[in-house]
Amino acid sequence: MSTDAPTSAPTAAATEHAAHSRRPYLVIFGLLFAFTILEVLVALPSMGVGRGFKVSALIILALTKAAMVALWFMHLKSEFKVLRWSVLLPFAFPALYAIVLIAEAGWRLL
Amino acid sequence: MSATATADAGHHEEHHGIGGHLLPSDPAVGLATSGKIGMWIFLLSDAFSFGGLLLAYGILRGGSSIWHHEGEPSLGINFTAGLTFLLICSSVTMVMAVANAAEGNRSKVTMWLLLTALGGALFLTGQFQEYFGIWSEGLTHEGLTFGRSAYASTFYLITSFHGAHVFSGTLYILITAARSAGGKADANEIEILGLFWHFVDLIWILVFTFVYLL
Repeated sequence: MSTDAPTSAPTAAATEHAAHSRRPYLVIFGLLFAFTILEVLVALPSMGVGRGFKVSALIILALTKAAMVALWFMHLKSEFKVLRWSVLLPFAFPALYAIVLIAEAGWRLL
Repeated sequence: MSATATADAGHHEEHHGIGGHLLPSDPAVGLATSGKIGMWIFLLSDAFSFGGLLLAYGILRGGSSIWHHEGEPSLGINFTAGLTFLLICSSVTMVMAVANAAEGNRSKVTMWLLLTALGGALFLTGQFQEYFGIWSEGLTHEGLTFGRSAYASTFYLITSFHGAHVFSGTLYILITAARSAGGKADANEIEILGLFWHFVDLIWILVFTFVYLL
């Protein structure tokens, strides 16, 4: 561990992000905030939203918010292609299994 | 992982990024350091741990005719929405720390990291209040008992597993803030820390929806 590695040392990773402005982060923050309020409104029983609509709307909103955090805050959007897909693709098949398994559990109740 | 990130900075010219000397240079991952790739591998495995818990929750809930038994309290959506907002804010303070680290503003990095840690500490306080009660009664006193129903057990298991991440993340932030203040943490180390913290926020977004809202 060297003592001559101050935060100010320009590194490859640093210069990559140095040009990034704060604006996209603040836009994402605003969207995350707005979507959270929307989620609570959809979920409140007093709003009288139908179960089917409520479930699909909430899942879409949550996945959108999660994707925004991963792509912008975690920089996956500007990450190298191999890394980006190595992270994102492994979720596709388990998600499919999850849908099948949960649907099957519900089906047996009928 | 952070130890890898702070590896000898003197080598970074002939290899890909700080810490990159542990891996041969590979055009496919370009400038991503071994520390960063290591954190992503950890986060993926951690994501599947959470995935397993959420899947078990989904199957138990989907397969039970009565989920919410009589006498068990409902989960407070408004209060938890506040906690969600808190974590989102702490993600923003974290991106500010990462951006400042990339620009070399060390004092600002420390300030944003401490603000992020404060967000984590407040979240944990909120979770303690929710479980055990500080200024009002907690769920444990209102009849939500671990082991009494799948509803109670999955709730405590999933939220406490996430809470453990917030706790370790807050410690990780404080340690890195101290290292940054002392000039020992470089931009790469702050970025790797940021990945972990945003992941904790990302998981909470999903937990909030599946456990509280649905």
